[in-house]
Amino acid sequence: MLPLILPVVLPLLAAFLVMPLARMSALIARALGPIVLTTSLVLLLPCCLDPPAQPLVLAIGNFAPPLGIVFYGDRLALLFANAVALFFLLFWDWRGGNPQQARQDALMLLLAASATGLALSGDLFNLYVFYELAAVASFGLVSLSGTGPALVATVRYLLVSAFGSVLALAGIALLYLQTGTLNLAQLGIDPEPLQGPAGLLAFGLMVIGFGVKAELFPLNYWVPEVYASAPARISALLAGLISKLAVLILLRLLVLVYGDTAAPQILLFLGILTIFFGEFSAWRAQDFPRMIAFSSIGQLGLVFIAFSLSGSWGVLAGIAVALHHLLVKSALFGLAHRWSGSLQALTGSAQRTPLAAALFVLFALSLIGVPPLPGFWTKILVLAGLAQEGSALAFTGLGAILLVTAVEAHYLFRFALQLYEKVENAPAGFRSFWEFLPSLLLGAALLAVTLRINPVADRLRAITQQAADRSFYITQVFPQAAAHRKDQP
Amino acid sequence: MNALDLLFLLSGATLLCALLFGRTRWAAPLLLLGYAAQFVALLQTNALFGEPISLSWSLVVLDQPMHWRYDALSWFFALITLGAGFLSTGYGSGVWMRDYERAGHSAGVLHTALAANVFSMVLLVGAEDFLSLFLGWELLNWATFFLMALRGGIAARAALRYLGYAFTGGMAILGAMALLYAQAGSLEFQPIRESLPQMSDGQLWVLLALLGSGFGIKMGLLPFHLWQAPAYAETPGPGSAFFSAVSARMGLYAMLVFFVGMVGLARLVQMEIPYTFLNGRDLLAWIAVFTIIFPTYTALQQQDARYLLAWHGIGQGGYMVLGVLVGTAEGSAGGLLHIFNHAITQVALLMAVFAVLYRTGTTDLNRLGGLVARMPLTFLTLLFGIISLAGLPPMAGFVSKLLVYRALLFEGMPLLFVGAIIGTLGTILSVYKLIHNIFLGQLRLEHESVQEAPLSMLIPMLSLSLLIFLAGYFPGPTLSWVAAVQAQLGLPVVNYHLGGVYDAHGGFNMIWIVSVLLAGFGIGALVFFGLGGPSKRVHQLDNYAGGHFLYAENRYQYSDHFYAGLMHLIGPWYRGSFQWLERALGSIVDFLAHFTNGFYGIAQPLLWSLAAVLGIAVWVF
Amino acid sequence: MHWTHLLLELILMPLMAFFIGMGMVLTLRKIGAKLQRRIGPPFFQPLYDILKLHAKETQSSHGLIHEIGIVMAIGGYVAAETLLPVPGMNGIAQQGGLITLAYMTMIPSLGLALGVGQCANPNGSIGISRALTAMLAYDVPFILVVFGTAYAAQSTNLVEIIAAQQSDGIASWGLVQNPLLALAGLLALQGMLGKQPFEIYVAPAEIATGPMVEMGGKFLGGLFIMQCFQLYTAGVLYTSLFLGGGENWLTFLVKIFAVVSIPMAIAYLFPRFRTEDLVRFFWKWPTFLALLGLAFVLH
Repeated sequence: MLPLILPVVLPLLAAFLVMPLARMSALIARALGPIVLTTSLVLLLPCCLDPPAQPLVLAIGNFAPPLGIVFYGDRLALLFANAVALFFLLFWDWRGGNPQQARQDALMLLLAASATGLALSGDLFNLYVFYELAAVASFGLVSLSGTGPALVATVRYLLVSAFGSVLALAGIALLYLQTGTLNLAQLGIDPEPLQGPAGLLAFGLMVIGFGVKAELFPLNYWVPEVYASAPARISALLAGLISKLAVLILLRLLVLVYGDTAAPQILLFLGILTIFFGEFSAWRAQDFPRMIAFSSIGQLGLVFIAFSLSGSWGVLAGIAVALHHLLVKSALFGLAHRWSGSLQALTGSAQRTPLAAALFVLFALSLIGVPPLPGFWTKILVLAGLAQEGSALAFTGLGAILLVTAVEAHYLFRFALQLYEKVENAPAGFRSFWEFLPSLLLGAALLAVTLRINPVADRLRAITQQAADRSFYITQVFPQAAAHRKDQP
Repeated sequence: MNALDLLFLLSGATLLCALLFGRTRWAAPLLLLGYAAQFVALLQTNALFGEPISLSWSLVVLDQPMHWRYDALSWFFALITLGAGFLSTGYGSGVWMRDYERAGHSAGVLHTALAANVFSMVLLVGAEDFLSLFLGWELLNWATFFLMALRGGIAARAALRYLGYAFTGGMAILGAMALLYAQAGSLEFQPIRESLPQMSDGQLWVLLALLGSGFGIKMGLLPFHLWQAPAYAETPGPGSAFFSAVSARMGLYAMLVFFVGMVGLARLVQMEIPYTFLNGRDLLAWIAVFTIIFPTYTALQQQDARYLLAWHGIGQGGYMVLGVLVGTAEGSAGGLLHIFNHAITQVALLMAVFAVLYRTGTTDLNRLGGLVARMPLTFLTLLFGIISLAGLPPMAGFVSKLLVYRALLFEGMPLLFVGAIIGTLGTILSVYKLIHNIFLGQLRLEHESVQEAPLSMLIPMLSLSLLIFLAGYFPGPTLSWVAAVQAQLGLPVVNYHLGGVYDAHGGFNMIWIVSVLLAGFGIGALVFFGLGGPSKRVHQLDNYAGGHFLYAENRYQYSDHFYAGLMHLIGPWYRGSFQWLERALGSIVDFLAHFTNGFYGIAQPLLWSLAAVLGIAVWVF
Repeated sequence: MHWTHLLLELILMPLMAFFIGMGMVLTLRKIGAKLQRRIGPPFFQPLYDILKLHAKETQSSHGLIHEIGIVMAIGGYVAAETLLPVPGMNGIAQQGGLITLAYMTMIPSLGLALGVGQCANPNGSIGISRALTAMLAYDVPFILVVFGTAYAAQSTNLVEIIAAQQSDGIASWGLVQNPLLALAGLLALQGMLGKQPFEIYVAPAEIATGPMVEMGGKFLGGLFIMQCFQLYTAGVLYTSLFLGGGENWLTFLVKIFAVVSIPMAIAYLFPRFRTEDLVRFFWKWPTFLALLGLAFVLH
């Protein structure tokens, strides 16, 4: 059970050790983070590449659920835990030289720990705690640069995050009131009490609450400011990784508890609004980080719409979109490291750094869903699913997705044409390709996935099969409760 | 490995060659070889008269198979594609490319873009299910965008406008695919074809709107035509010639596959529009007729030769759609034949215009004139081209248009018939202006030393001129291709022979008509040269000028506002409605963007969050 | 039919068209003279004119296309005449139809336009632009007339159309069956012949006879020949569509001369229309009449 517990505990420990160590030896302090993350990766990677037949279940401190906290590592959770370790390594600040280096490393490790916990935990309140921890870490990271806009953005982020947390807590409290338990599997055994209006309200509150991090409308107004003023690597991690983990919580609830109710409608409705507001705002964006921040809002709207589809189709579509966005958006923010000025100032950048411009075109094509890139397959999964739903709201969603994708294509390629314009004084841009190495690696990964789309699809289907199976989750956590289930699988 | 595999492989290999060797001296010969090899492979597939041939390799993603197959329709379009690619590359090799590179552009990029277009078209016309169709469609859209945008500046802006249209069309197609999947459970053609009869009229209307828009945007049908003329006109020479030949017709290919092959014209006729006496087919036919008329009269007013021809390209597409929609043997034969005839005509015309551009540096119709004395062979090409475009005997364009007219006549569709004729008359006016302003009239002082077009340009131009004439003289071979396509699509097959068509209502025989015409010319020449005395060549300034003395610096040429009288009448009718519509849509998007952006700038957004929570509470209880 | 027969027909039809056409030109000038209280030219004047023009010593040419334009003008009509059936001779009317004939008559206009273009005279170019605009104008009712008659007879074969009209005496003539179409056709005829009030494209005082400004000698002679053919073609076409063709040569000649005389008579009574007024005129009443006639035909 080490793969479950160490990736959470070690970074947490390291986070608190970095600051004192920094006083003694800067080198050790700098090396601690990567070492810890690499250890996590080494532990988790085998579980992902060669998944065990049964998911890993660990009762923390040997306290049995539902009283104790359980860590549930099915293929989906392990995938995301791996992603945390991998992406944190990818976007680690290798160059250093920051005056607040130790603090930054500590906060990063804290974020990594809480992110892994978000992926693995099986208890609702535990998830809330990790969520808050992640929020606090991200406040620190975003405001670390100390510039005026960054601080203002952080304050707004803080306010909305606090408000969201209050709402989420209210939702959890309501849920506890109805059922008397906070263990996800326990909730799944008997979802009866939550099928009524009270349960739906609780879900709605939690959607809005956790939706802050997941950039859901109407709580995503912090996104453009924060992503534009934070360092690009932090934005990459927040937009790419953390947002997905917030959605993961809602997914678990949806699968285990709210599958047969009208709860997905909330997701669909808010998802449509999110995608609409996100992409249309991107149309008017004047600088690169803001443009991809808005695009990120839009894509997360798509994730929500995908998860609102019924059955395992919805889970598959949602996971596919989420993973695709994780790859592409992180890579785009990796490019934003140097392309942080206004869009006008970037005219002609392709002359000096053709590779970066080509990468942008590749990611843009995948974002808008051009076959044979993976983005297309994810999109068509969502669209086919919406068409099959057949409800009026589903068709509205279908139309909205198509409309905003057209808008997205236009503004992305308006920028791409600007990049390739022939000008006399091309802007300096990237000094060497090491500066956008993460984006390069992620671009290569995208191409690899394109070529091996079928094996990847098969894996995703296997992951979905596990994740969408409610009774499987329950029987894994409560082997003895299998005989005493009151509900139908 | 069968012939189709070979074709696809060669196509990809040509693209690779263009990518790797595009900058070198051997690029053009290598690519010409590549296209010729693809052509040979296409002939070997024998898909036109033989059995359809499937690709050995197919792809299955997410349980959806993607396979490719060539049948008669695919063969027909692939032929035009490869021919256009070959001739355009030949035209753009040698002197033109040296000039292009000296102007600071990259030959390799142009060659790659052209090869990419050919490759994606070869893929597209072989699609055997909607996924592979969409794959080919999107690849083609992006390859087209690439070729349009590579010159930068005004071409890039036109390309971005094209992208807006094309991508919206692609999304409409994707939406229709999602709906079809939900209905039929599969994206393959056969299951969809079987589930179509069960669909209600309402569902079919939605599909018609979505797919019609998507395919119509590519085709340049009204009201989606505004992007086409600037985009095609501003593309560099060979690219423009290639586009005008076949690029827009890919939309027609898709329409033929879906609306004729799968839905069927009979079903379209059954779909009535309430409160009118129109049905689905009538609606499309009227759109086609308006597509013929409006762009043709827009072409009439153009000052730039390339734009004039680009607008005609849009208009002629209407004839193809109209002919196919009439549905009879002759009508659909005319429509399908026009695809080929127009392709060779338009390429010849654009090549001639770009040759003029190459030699004189301008295509502005108000700054040319009298070039027939310096570029007689280019003039000949343009002459053959405009006679064919106007649909006059003895050229190819006459045959296909005649078939369409006869079909409209015998089906009793007078208004459509008149619309088509008005389009032809407008074409005659417009192409006369083209040839007059460039080649006839007064030769300008600065063009005194202009030379004939170089050989690398003349060879494709003259061979196309010959082809235009032969296709008009002996329409039999091209009609045989068309008959094979008709048989494959399930349309009635035209009863053709070497010179034309048999028909109970009175067929026609081009061999007789053209031979008599040539004999008539012979007699006219006899009378003129034989009867009269020898003619004395006079200088162009030795001309009636009402008593004034003409100097070489005088511009004694009527070119501006060529149809002033007509424009007095119809000028005010052009209210720019379509541009208004386009701008209105752009404004709506802008407004929505402002609105959504406003949300991200408000000072106290927490109220919204509270409102959202309250909304959920209300909805729940 | 035997190929010698066909060859004979193909030679005779244009030849006869030429001579009859000359007779029509004479008629035109005689009628004009009578209306203007003059005597008019002698009988062989048109022939004399053509011969005189060809025999001139100075034949100014502006280039090869100038010459080829006239060749096309003559040759196009020579070919078109073989598509027009006359009593006893069908030529290749079966191999082409009504629509082919209509397009065939556009070739001489195109040839003329090309020839005028090379003259490099703006008066000529203006004239051609007006002529083409006028063609756009009168062709709309004309094409509706063509549609109507072909649809009514369910054939584009002129031989069949004529046969249908001769089947039942005057009652089966196009004039009686579709009077509105006949009226519209007559108005279109006026425009086709380029006679007042629709001769804006010539406009002698304004643009110095337009297309003919630089045509002299055999060039003008060629245009004269073209005019003969033009009058003949117009008359015979109208007769074939509406007056039952010609059962024999006597009735045929009477009919075609009668048809051509009407526009000539009207021509001298009107001033000239401007180009846009010409277009507006043709697209209004003749088109409306033709559409009304079509409505009767189709139902």
